[in-house]
Amino acid sequence: MSEINSTETSASSRRSSRASSNSRRKPKKNQIPLGIGIFLFIALFGIYLSTKSNLLAFFWVTGNAFGFILQKSRFCFTASMRDPLLTGSTSLTRAVMVALAITTLGFTAIKYGAHINGLPIPGQGYIVPISFATIFGGIIFGIGMVIAGGCASGTLMRVGEGFQMQVLSLAFFVIGSLVGAHNFDWWHKMFISKGQSVFLPDIFGWAGAVVVQLLIIASVYILADKWENKKTNEAN
Amino acid sequence: MKEVVLDCLGEACPIPLVKAENAIKDLSAGDVLIVQIDHSCAMKNVPEWARKEGHNVEIEEVDDGEWEVIIEKA
Amino acid sequence: MPFLLLLKKIKEVISLDIKNNKYYKLWFKDPITYVMGAVLLSIFQIVTFAVTGNPWGVTGSLANWGAWILELFGGSVDSWSYFSTKSAQATLKSGFLNDPGSIRNLGVIFGALFSTLMASQFKIKKIKSKKQVIAAILGGFLMGYGARLAYGCNIGAFYSGISSLSLSGWVFGIALFIGAFLGSKLLVKYFM
Repeated sequence: MSEINSTETSASSRRSSRASSNSRRKPKKNQIPLGIGIFLFIALFGIYLSTKSNLLAFFWVTGNAFGFILQKSRFCFTASMRDPLLTGSTSLTRAVMVALAITTLGFTAIKYGAHINGLPIPGQGYIVPISFATIFGGIIFGIGMVIAGGCASGTLMRVGEGFQMQVLSLAFFVIGSLVGAHNFDWWHKMFISKGQSVFLPDIFGWAGAVVVQLLIIASVYILADKWENKKTNEAN
Repeated sequence: MKEVVLDCLGEACPIPLVKAENAIKDLSAGDVLIVQIDHSCAMKNVPEWARKEGHNVEIEEVDDGEWEVIIEKA
Repeated sequence: MPFLLLLKKIKEVISLDIKNNKYYKLWFKDPITYVMGAVLLSIFQIVTFAVTGNPWGVTGSLANWGAWILELFGGSVDSWSYFSTKSAQATLKSGFLNDPGSIRNLGVIFGALFSTLMASQFKIKKIKSKKQVIAAILGGFLMGYGARLAYGCNIGAFYSGISSLSLSGWVFGIALFIGAFLGSKLLVKYFM
Protein backbone atom coordinates (compact mmCIF):
# COMPACT_ATOMS: atom_id res chain seq x y z
CA MET A 1 0.00 0.00 0.00
CA SER A 2 1.57 3.24 -1.00
CA GLU A 3 1.00 6.34 0.96
CA ILE A 4 0.36 9.46 -0.98
CA ASN A 5 1.76 12.58 0.55
CA SER A 6 -0.80 15.23 -0.07
CA THR A 7 0.15 18.83 0.31
CA GLU A 8 -3.31 20.24 0.63
CA THR A 9 -3.92 23.39 -1.26
CA SER A 10 -7.13 25.27 -0.62
CA ALA A 11 -8.52 24.17 -3.98
CA SER A 12 -7.91 20.48 -3.47
CA SER A 13 -9.17 20.53 0.12
CA ARG A 14 -12.33 22.24 -1.06
CA ARG A 15 -12.76 19.65 -3.79
CA SER A 16 -12.16 16.76 -1.44
CA SER A 17 -14.61 17.93 1.20
CA ARG A 18 -17.27 18.48 -1.40
CA ALA A 19 -16.47 15.17 -3.03
CA SER A 20 -17.04 13.45 0.29
CA SER A 21 -20.36 15.21 0.76
CA ASN A 22 -21.17 14.15 -2.83
CA SER A 23 -20.77 10.51 -1.96
CA ARG A 24 -23.00 10.93 1.09
CA ARG A 25 -25.78 12.37 -1.07
CA LYS A 26 -28.70 10.21 -1.96
CA PRO A 27 -29.35 10.03 -5.71
CA LYS A 28 -31.71 12.85 -6.71
CA LYS A 29 -35.21 11.69 -7.41
CA ASN A 30 -36.94 12.98 -10.50
CA GLN A 31 -40.17 14.60 -9.35
CA ILE A 32 -41.39 15.58 -12.80
CA PRO A 33 -43.76 12.59 -13.05
CA LEU A 34 -45.27 13.70 -9.73
CA GLY A 35 -45.57 17.20 -11.14
CA ILE A 36 -47.40 15.91 -14.17
CA GLY A 37 -49.65 13.90 -11.88
CA ILE A 38 -50.50 17.01 -9.88
CA PHE A 39 -51.17 18.85 -13.13
CA LEU A 40 -53.65 16.17 -14.10
CA PHE A 41 -55.38 16.59 -10.75
CA ILE A 42 -55.45 20.38 -11.20
CA ALA A 43 -56.96 19.98 -14.66
CA LEU A 44 -59.54 17.41 -13.60
CA PHE A 45 -60.55 19.39 -10.53
CA GLY A 46 -60.94 22.44 -12.75
CA ILE A 47 -63.21 20.51 -15.08
CA TYR A 48 -65.24 19.28 -12.12
CA LEU A 49 -65.61 22.84 -10.83
CA SER A 50 -66.71 24.07 -14.25
CA THR A 51 -69.66 21.68 -14.06
CA LYS A 52 -70.80 23.67 -11.03
CA SER A 53 -69.90 27.09 -12.35
CA ASN A 54 -67.41 28.55 -14.80
CA LEU A 55 -66.63 31.24 -12.28
CA LEU A 56 -65.43 28.67 -9.74
CA ALA A 57 -63.20 27.12 -12.38
CA PHE A 58 -61.81 30.57 -13.14
CA PHE A 59 -60.95 31.19 -9.49
CA TRP A 60 -59.22 27.76 -9.42
CA VAL A 61 -57.17 28.52 -12.51
CA THR A 62 -56.11 31.98 -11.39
CA GLY A 63 -55.28 30.66 -7.93
CA ASN A 64 -52.98 28.09 -9.49
CA ALA A 65 -51.46 30.79 -11.69
CA PHE A 66 -50.74 33.00 -8.67
CA GLY A 67 -49.25 30.07 -6.76
CA PHE A 68 -47.06 29.05 -9.69
CA ILE A 69 -45.83 32.59 -10.28
CA LEU A 70 -45.14 33.27 -6.60
CA GLN A 71 -43.12 30.05 -6.26
CA LYS A 72 -41.28 30.37 -9.56
CA SER A 73 -40.15 33.93 -8.81
CA ARG A 74 -39.71 33.44 -5.04
CA PHE A 75 -41.81 36.60 -4.74
CA CYS A 76 -42.29 37.68 -1.14
CA PHE A 77 -44.17 40.73 0.13
CA THR A 78 -42.83 40.05 3.61
CA ALA A 79 -39.26 40.30 2.37
CA SER A 80 -40.09 43.49 0.46
CA MET A 81 -40.85 45.21 3.76
CA ARG A 82 -38.46 43.34 6.06
CA ASP A 83 -35.24 43.12 4.08
CA PRO A 84 -34.55 46.86 3.74
CA LEU A 85 -34.26 47.00 7.51
CA LEU A 86 -32.86 43.57 8.24
CA THR A 87 -30.39 42.96 5.42
CA GLY A 88 -30.30 46.19 3.43
CA SER A 89 -31.68 44.53 0.32
CA THR A 90 -34.48 46.21 -1.62
CA SER A 91 -34.74 44.09 -4.76
CA LEU A 92 -38.15 42.79 -3.70
CA THR A 93 -39.29 46.21 -2.55
CA ARG A 94 -38.59 47.50 -6.03
CA ALA A 95 -40.31 44.52 -7.64
CA VAL A 96 -43.41 45.20 -5.53
CA MET A 97 -43.35 48.79 -6.79
CA VAL A 98 -43.31 47.48 -10.36
CA ALA A 99 -46.31 45.27 -9.57
CA LEU A 100 -48.17 48.19 -8.00
CA ALA A 101 -47.49 50.41 -11.01
CA ILE A 102 -48.61 47.92 -13.64
CA THR A 103 -51.67 46.78 -11.70
CA THR A 104 -52.67 50.38 -11.00
CA LEU A 105 -52.70 51.07 -14.73
CA GLY A 106 -54.75 47.97 -15.53
CA PHE A 107 -57.27 48.47 -12.73
CA THR A 108 -57.69 52.16 -13.47
CA ALA A 109 -58.28 51.46 -17.14
CA ILE A 110 -61.09 49.07 -16.25
CA LYS A 111 -62.58 51.41 -13.67
CA TYR A 112 -62.35 54.44 -15.89
CA GLY A 113 -63.82 52.55 -18.81
CA ALA A 114 -66.85 51.69 -16.72
CA HIS A 115 -67.08 55.25 -15.41
CA ILE A 116 -67.08 57.03 -18.76
CA ASN A 117 -69.66 54.56 -20.07
CA GLY A 118 -71.99 55.37 -17.22
CA LEU A 119 -71.63 51.91 -15.69
CA PRO A 120 -71.07 51.20 -11.99
CA ILE A 121 -67.36 51.14 -11.20
CA PRO A 122 -66.23 47.59 -10.30
CA GLY A 123 -64.16 46.74 -7.26
CA GLN A 124 -65.12 49.77 -5.18
CA GLY A 125 -65.63 47.43 -2.22
CA TYR A 126 -61.87 47.54 -1.87
CA ILE A 127 -62.02 51.29 -1.12
CA VAL A 128 -62.31 50.84 2.62
CA PRO A 129 -62.55 53.31 5.52
CA ILE A 130 -59.28 54.50 7.01
CA SER A 131 -59.21 54.46 10.80
CA PHE A 132 -57.10 53.39 13.73
CA ALA A 133 -58.19 49.85 12.90
CA THR A 134 -56.39 50.08 9.54
CA ILE A 135 -53.18 51.16 11.23
CA PHE A 136 -53.39 48.76 14.14
CA GLY A 137 -54.34 45.90 11.84
CA GLY A 138 -51.45 46.73 9.52
CA ILE A 139 -48.92 46.89 12.31
CA ILE A 140 -49.87 43.56 13.85
CA PHE A 141 -50.07 41.97 10.41
CA GLY A 142 -46.58 43.29 9.69
CA ILE A 143 -45.24 41.89 12.95
CA GLY A 144 -46.97 38.58 12.33
CA MET A 145 -45.77 38.11 8.79
CA VAL A 146 -42.13 38.66 9.70
CA ILE A 147 -42.25 36.33 12.69
CA ALA A 148 -44.16 33.66 10.83
CA GLY A 149 -41.81 33.81 7.84
CA GLY A 150 -44.51 34.64 5.31
CA CYS A 151 -47.52 36.80 4.62
CA ALA A 152 -50.94 35.59 3.47
CA SER A 153 -49.98 34.65 -0.09
CA GLY A 154 -46.53 33.56 1.03
CA THR A 155 -47.99 31.23 3.65
CA LEU A 156 -50.24 29.52 1.08
CA MET A 157 -47.29 29.22 -1.30
CA ARG A 158 -45.08 27.67 1.36
CA VAL A 159 -47.76 25.16 2.34
CA GLY A 160 -47.56 24.03 -1.29
CA GLU A 161 -43.77 23.85 -1.03
CA GLY A 162 -43.94 21.53 1.95
CA PHE A 163 -43.12 23.77 4.91
CA GLN A 164 -44.73 22.35 8.04
CA MET A 165 -44.19 25.64 9.86
CA GLN A 166 -46.46 27.46 7.42
CA VAL A 167 -49.16 24.80 7.79
CA LEU A 168 -49.19 25.66 11.49
CA SER A 169 -49.09 29.37 10.66
CA LEU A 170 -52.07 28.94 8.32
CA ALA A 171 -54.04 27.11 11.01
CA PHE A 172 -53.59 30.00 13.41
CA PHE A 173 -54.17 32.51 10.63
CA VAL A 174 -57.62 30.94 10.32
CA ILE A 175 -58.16 31.05 14.09
CA GLY A 176 -57.01 34.67 14.25
CA SER A 177 -59.37 35.50 11.39
CA LEU A 178 -62.27 33.95 13.27
CA VAL A 179 -61.46 35.82 16.47
CA GLY A 180 -61.06 39.01 14.45
CA ALA A 181 -64.43 38.42 12.85
CA HIS A 182 -65.91 37.91 16.28
CA ASN A 183 -64.45 41.19 17.55
CA PHE A 184 -65.09 43.04 14.31
CA ASP A 185 -68.31 44.58 15.59
CA TRP A 186 -66.45 46.33 18.42
CA TRP A 187 -63.74 47.63 16.11
CA HIS A 188 -66.39 48.80 13.68
CA LYS A 189 -68.32 50.70 16.33
CA MET A 190 -65.24 52.20 17.95
CA PHE A 191 -63.13 53.11 14.93
CA ILE A 192 -64.05 51.83 11.49
CA SER A 193 -67.48 53.46 11.32
CA LYS A 194 -65.89 56.81 12.10
CA GLY A 195 -63.30 56.37 9.36
CA GLN A 196 -63.29 57.80 5.89
CA SER A 197 -62.93 55.95 2.60
CA VAL A 198 -60.83 57.89 0.14
CA PHE A 199 -60.93 57.09 -3.57
CA LEU A 200 -58.00 59.03 -5.01
CA PRO A 201 -59.76 60.14 -8.23
CA ASP A 202 -62.30 61.94 -6.01
CA ILE A 203 -59.47 64.17 -4.85
CA PHE A 204 -57.15 64.40 -7.84
CA GLY A 205 -59.40 63.43 -10.72
CA TRP A 206 -58.75 60.23 -12.67
CA ALA A 207 -55.62 61.31 -14.51
CA GLY A 208 -54.32 63.19 -11.50
CA ALA A 209 -54.78 60.22 -9.22
CA VAL A 210 -52.84 57.94 -11.56
CA VAL A 211 -50.06 60.47 -12.01
CA VAL A 212 -49.75 61.14 -8.27
CA GLN A 213 -49.77 57.43 -7.45
CA LEU A 214 -47.20 56.57 -10.11
CA LEU A 215 -45.01 59.43 -8.88
CA ILE A 216 -45.17 58.10 -5.33
CA ILE A 217 -44.38 54.57 -6.55
CA ALA A 218 -41.43 55.89 -8.57
CA SER A 219 -40.17 57.84 -5.57
CA VAL A 220 -40.30 54.78 -3.34
CA TYR A 221 -38.48 52.84 -6.07
CA ILE A 222 -35.68 55.40 -6.25
CA LEU A 223 -35.44 55.63 -2.47
CA ALA A 224 -35.25 51.86 -2.22
CA ASP A 225 -32.54 51.71 -4.87
CA LYS A 226 -30.46 54.39 -3.15
CA TRP A 227 -31.00 52.71 0.22
CA GLU A 228 -29.60 49.42 -1.02
CA ASN A 229 -26.57 51.13 -2.57
CA LYS A 230 -25.96 52.95 0.68
CA LYS A 231 -26.19 49.76 2.71
CA THR A 232 -23.89 47.88 0.33
CA ASN A 233 -21.28 50.64 0.51
CA GLU A 234 -21.49 50.73 4.29
CA ALA A 235 -20.83 47.01 4.49
CA ASN A 236 -17.79 47.13 2.20
CA MET B 1 -7.81 28.58 3.73
CA LYS B 2 -10.68 27.88 6.03
CA GLU B 3 -13.85 26.17 4.98
CA VAL B 4 -16.87 26.74 7.19
CA VAL B 5 -20.11 24.84 6.73
CA LEU B 6 -23.26 26.62 7.91
CA ASP B 7 -26.17 24.23 8.32
CA CYS B 8 -29.35 26.23 7.75
CA LEU B 9 -31.58 23.32 6.83
CA GLY B 10 -35.10 23.78 8.17
CA GLU B 11 -34.60 27.45 8.99
CA ALA B 12 -37.31 29.95 8.15
CA CYS B 13 -36.81 33.02 6.01
CA PRO B 14 -34.64 35.12 6.47
CA ILE B 15 -32.52 33.25 8.94
CA PRO B 16 -30.10 31.63 6.46
CA LEU B 17 -29.20 35.05 5.08
CA VAL B 18 -28.75 36.66 8.49
CA LYS B 19 -26.61 33.74 9.69
CA ALA B 20 -24.52 33.86 6.53
CA GLU B 21 -23.96 37.60 6.93
CA ASN B 22 -22.76 37.07 10.49
CA ALA B 23 -20.62 34.06 9.64
CA ILE B 24 -18.71 35.70 6.80
CA LYS B 25 -17.45 38.41 9.12
CA ASP B 26 -15.22 35.85 10.87
CA LEU B 27 -13.61 34.70 7.63
CA SER B 28 -10.59 36.09 5.81
CA ALA B 29 -10.21 36.61 2.09
CA GLY B 30 -10.02 33.29 0.27
CA ASP B 31 -11.93 31.38 2.96
CA VAL B 32 -15.00 29.49 1.88
CA LEU B 33 -18.43 29.57 3.50
CA ILE B 34 -20.79 26.78 2.52
CA VAL B 35 -24.40 27.56 3.40
CA GLN B 36 -26.66 24.53 3.37
CA ILE B 37 -30.27 25.51 2.73
CA ASP B 38 -33.61 24.01 1.83
CA HIS B 39 -35.57 27.26 1.50
CA SER B 40 -36.37 28.41 -2.02
CA CYS B 41 -36.16 32.09 -0.99
CA ALA B 42 -32.67 31.58 0.40
CA MET B 43 -31.35 30.02 -2.81
CA LYS B 44 -32.06 33.41 -4.36
CA ASN B 45 -31.40 35.96 -1.62
CA VAL B 46 -28.18 34.48 -0.21
CA PRO B 47 -26.33 34.40 -3.57
CA GLU B 48 -27.77 37.82 -4.43
CA TRP B 49 -26.36 39.29 -1.23
CA ALA B 50 -23.01 37.55 -1.60
CA ARG B 51 -22.51 38.72 -5.18
CA LYS B 52 -23.47 42.25 -4.21
CA GLU B 53 -20.72 42.12 -1.57
CA GLY B 54 -18.27 41.11 -4.28
CA HIS B 55 -17.65 37.50 -3.28
CA ASN B 56 -17.47 34.53 -5.66
CA VAL B 57 -20.63 32.48 -5.44
CA GLU B 58 -21.62 29.05 -6.69
CA ILE B 59 -24.92 27.32 -6.10
CA GLU B 60 -25.19 23.56 -6.17
CA GLU B 61 -28.45 21.69 -5.98
CA VAL B 62 -27.46 18.75 -3.81
CA ASP B 63 -30.85 17.09 -3.53
CA ASP B 64 -34.51 17.74 -4.26
CA GLY B 65 -35.14 21.06 -2.56
CA GLU B 66 -31.67 21.28 -0.98
CA TRP B 67 -28.89 23.56 -2.06
CA GLU B 68 -25.36 24.47 -1.07
CA VAL B 69 -24.39 28.08 -1.58
CA ILE B 70 -20.62 28.14 -1.81
CA ILE B 71 -19.20 31.57 -1.08
CA GLU B 72 -15.54 32.40 -1.47
CA LYS B 73 -14.78 35.55 0.47
CA ALA B 74 -13.22 38.21 -1.69
CA MET C 1 -36.91 0.86 -43.97
CA PRO C 2 -39.17 3.85 -43.21
CA PHE C 3 -40.73 1.84 -40.38
CA LEU C 4 -37.32 1.43 -38.76
CA LEU C 5 -36.73 5.16 -39.13
CA LEU C 6 -40.07 5.82 -37.42
CA LEU C 7 -39.16 3.51 -34.54
CA LYS C 8 -35.85 5.33 -34.23
CA LYS C 9 -37.66 8.69 -34.05
CA ILE C 10 -40.03 7.42 -31.36
CA LYS C 11 -37.12 6.11 -29.32
CA GLU C 12 -35.44 9.51 -29.62
CA VAL C 13 -38.51 11.34 -28.41
CA ILE C 14 -39.05 9.00 -25.46
CA SER C 15 -35.46 9.31 -24.29
CA LEU C 16 -35.68 13.13 -24.42
CA ASP C 17 -33.20 14.40 -21.94
CA ILE C 18 -35.76 16.66 -20.34
CA LYS C 19 -33.47 17.95 -17.66
CA ASN C 20 -31.31 19.59 -20.31
CA ASN C 21 -34.19 20.75 -22.46
CA LYS C 22 -34.00 24.49 -22.99
CA TYR C 23 -37.69 25.13 -22.42
CA TYR C 24 -37.89 22.91 -19.34
CA LYS C 25 -35.07 24.91 -17.80
CA LEU C 26 -36.56 28.22 -18.87
CA TRP C 27 -40.13 27.63 -17.73
CA PHE C 28 -39.95 24.99 -15.03
CA LYS C 29 -36.49 24.51 -13.57
CA ASP C 30 -34.84 27.87 -13.16
CA PRO C 31 -36.45 30.55 -10.99
CA ILE C 32 -37.61 33.68 -12.76
CA THR C 33 -36.65 37.20 -11.71
CA TYR C 34 -38.61 39.17 -9.12
CA VAL C 35 -39.52 41.74 -11.75
CA MET C 36 -40.81 39.04 -14.08
CA GLY C 37 -42.87 37.77 -11.16
CA ALA C 38 -44.21 41.28 -10.62
CA VAL C 39 -45.24 41.53 -14.27
CA LEU C 40 -46.93 38.13 -14.30
CA LEU C 41 -48.75 38.74 -11.01
CA SER C 42 -49.97 42.04 -12.40
CA ILE C 43 -51.29 40.37 -15.53
CA PHE C 44 -53.30 37.90 -13.51
CA GLN C 45 -54.51 40.60 -11.12
CA ILE C 46 -55.83 42.58 -14.06
CA VAL C 47 -57.36 39.46 -15.63
CA THR C 48 -59.03 38.68 -12.30
CA PHE C 49 -60.40 42.20 -11.98
CA ALA C 50 -61.70 42.24 -15.55
CA VAL C 51 -63.49 38.91 -15.22
CA THR C 52 -64.73 38.90 -11.63
CA GLY C 53 -65.19 42.61 -11.00
CA ASN C 54 -62.95 42.39 -7.96
CA PRO C 55 -59.20 42.27 -7.39
CA TRP C 56 -57.32 39.35 -5.83
CA GLY C 57 -57.95 38.81 -2.14
CA VAL C 58 -56.85 36.05 0.22
CA THR C 59 -58.00 36.54 3.77
CA GLY C 60 -61.76 37.04 3.39
CA SER C 61 -62.23 33.32 2.88
CA LEU C 62 -60.01 32.41 5.81
CA ALA C 63 -62.60 33.75 8.24
CA ASN C 64 -65.09 31.44 6.52
CA TRP C 65 -62.73 28.50 7.04
CA GLY C 66 -62.75 29.37 10.74
CA ALA C 67 -66.52 29.50 10.77
CA TRP C 68 -66.84 26.11 9.06
CA ILE C 69 -64.36 24.54 11.45
CA LEU C 70 -66.24 26.02 14.39
CA GLU C 71 -69.42 24.50 12.99
CA LEU C 72 -67.66 21.14 12.78
CA PHE C 73 -67.16 21.39 16.54
CA GLY C 74 -70.82 22.19 17.07
CA GLY C 75 -70.50 25.95 17.26
CA SER C 76 -72.24 28.58 15.18
CA VAL C 77 -71.40 32.06 13.93
CA ASP C 78 -74.95 32.90 12.85
CA SER C 79 -75.40 35.37 15.70
CA TRP C 80 -72.20 37.27 14.88
CA SER C 81 -72.76 40.59 13.16
CA TYR C 82 -69.72 39.93 10.95
CA PHE C 83 -71.50 36.95 9.36
CA SER C 84 -74.99 38.41 9.52
CA THR C 85 -75.20 39.82 6.00
CA LYS C 86 -77.19 37.89 3.41
CA SER C 87 -74.15 37.24 1.27
CA ALA C 88 -72.05 36.07 4.22
CA GLN C 89 -74.82 33.68 5.26
CA ALA C 90 -75.22 32.42 1.70
CA THR C 91 -71.47 31.77 1.42
CA LEU C 92 -71.41 29.92 4.72
CA LYS C 93 -74.39 27.80 3.82
CA SER C 94 -73.06 26.73 0.42
CA GLY C 95 -69.74 25.58 1.81
CA PHE C 96 -66.04 25.45 0.93
CA LEU C 97 -66.32 23.92 -2.54
CA ASN C 98 -68.71 26.65 -3.63
CA ASP C 99 -66.76 29.57 -2.19
CA PRO C 100 -64.70 31.18 -4.98
CA GLY C 101 -62.22 32.71 -2.56
CA SER C 102 -61.59 29.40 -0.85
CA ILE C 103 -61.12 27.67 -4.19
CA ARG C 104 -58.64 30.33 -5.25
CA ASN C 105 -56.64 29.97 -2.01
CA LEU C 106 -56.55 26.20 -2.51
CA GLY C 107 -55.39 26.90 -6.05
CA VAL C 108 -52.47 28.99 -4.79
CA ILE C 109 -51.32 26.03 -2.72
CA PHE C 110 -51.59 23.62 -5.66
CA GLY C 111 -49.98 26.03 -8.09
CA ALA C 112 -46.98 26.35 -5.82
CA LEU C 113 -46.86 22.57 -5.34
CA PHE C 114 -46.98 22.02 -9.10
CA SER C 115 -44.20 24.56 -9.65
CA THR C 116 -41.96 22.98 -7.03
CA LEU C 117 -42.51 19.41 -8.24
CA MET C 118 -41.86 20.26 -11.89
CA ALA C 119 -38.53 21.75 -10.81
CA SER C 120 -37.85 18.62 -8.76
CA GLN C 121 -37.34 20.83 -5.71
CA PHE C 122 -40.09 19.59 -3.42
CA LYS C 123 -39.05 18.65 0.08
CA ILE C 124 -41.01 18.45 3.30
CA LYS C 125 -39.43 20.87 5.72
CA LYS C 126 -40.23 19.70 9.24
CA ILE C 127 -40.60 22.08 12.14
CA LYS C 128 -37.24 22.14 13.81
CA SER C 129 -37.61 23.95 17.10
CA LYS C 130 -40.03 25.20 19.71
CA LYS C 131 -39.18 28.74 18.60
CA GLN C 132 -40.61 27.97 15.16
CA VAL C 133 -43.81 26.62 16.72
CA ILE C 134 -44.33 29.76 18.81
CA ALA C 135 -43.42 32.00 15.87
CA ALA C 136 -45.89 30.24 13.57
CA ILE C 137 -48.72 30.32 16.12
CA LEU C 138 -48.18 33.91 17.19
CA GLY C 139 -47.42 35.19 13.70
CA GLY C 140 -50.33 33.39 12.09
CA PHE C 141 -52.77 34.63 14.71
CA LEU C 142 -51.60 38.24 14.45
CA MET C 143 -51.94 38.12 10.68
CA GLY C 144 -55.43 36.65 10.82
CA TYR C 145 -56.66 39.16 13.37
CA GLY C 146 -54.98 42.15 11.73
CA ALA C 147 -56.38 41.28 8.31
CA ARG C 148 -59.94 41.41 9.63
CA LEU C 149 -59.42 44.87 11.11
CA ALA C 150 -57.91 46.20 7.91
CA TYR C 151 -60.30 44.47 5.52
CA GLY C 152 -57.46 42.44 4.07
CA CYS C 153 -53.82 41.42 3.98
CA ASN C 154 -50.71 42.15 1.93
CA ILE C 155 -52.76 41.21 -1.14
CA GLY C 156 -56.29 42.45 -0.49
CA ALA C 157 -55.60 45.54 1.60
CA PHE C 158 -52.15 46.46 0.31
CA TYR C 159 -51.57 45.22 -3.26
CA SER C 160 -55.19 45.34 -4.41
CA GLY C 161 -56.06 48.34 -2.25
CA ILE C 162 -53.34 50.57 -3.64
CA SER C 163 -53.91 49.36 -7.20
CA SER C 164 -57.59 50.24 -6.78
CA LEU C 165 -56.56 53.84 -6.01
CA SER C 166 -57.71 53.58 -2.39
CA LEU C 167 -55.82 55.69 0.12
CA SER C 168 -56.41 52.91 2.66
CA GLY C 169 -53.89 50.80 0.76
CA TRP C 170 -51.12 53.32 1.37
CA VAL C 171 -52.03 53.79 5.03
CA PHE C 172 -52.06 50.01 5.49
CA GLY C 173 -48.75 49.78 3.64
CA ILE C 174 -47.06 52.24 5.98
CA ALA C 175 -48.46 50.31 8.94
CA LEU C 176 -47.15 47.06 7.43
CA PHE C 177 -43.71 48.61 7.15
CA ILE C 178 -43.76 49.71 10.79
CA GLY C 179 -44.94 46.26 11.79
CA ALA C 180 -42.22 44.62 9.72
CA PHE C 181 -39.66 46.76 11.51
CA LEU C 182 -40.99 45.74 14.92
CA GLY C 183 -41.28 42.13 13.79
CA SER C 184 -37.66 42.08 12.63
CA LYS C 185 -36.53 43.23 16.05
CA LEU C 186 -38.56 40.48 17.70
CA LEU C 187 -37.34 37.92 15.19
CA VAL C 188 -33.68 38.59 15.83
CA LYS C 189 -34.12 38.80 19.58
CA TYR C 190 -36.37 35.80 20.24
CA PHE C 191 -36.77 33.61 17.20
CA MET C 192 -33.32 33.17 15.70
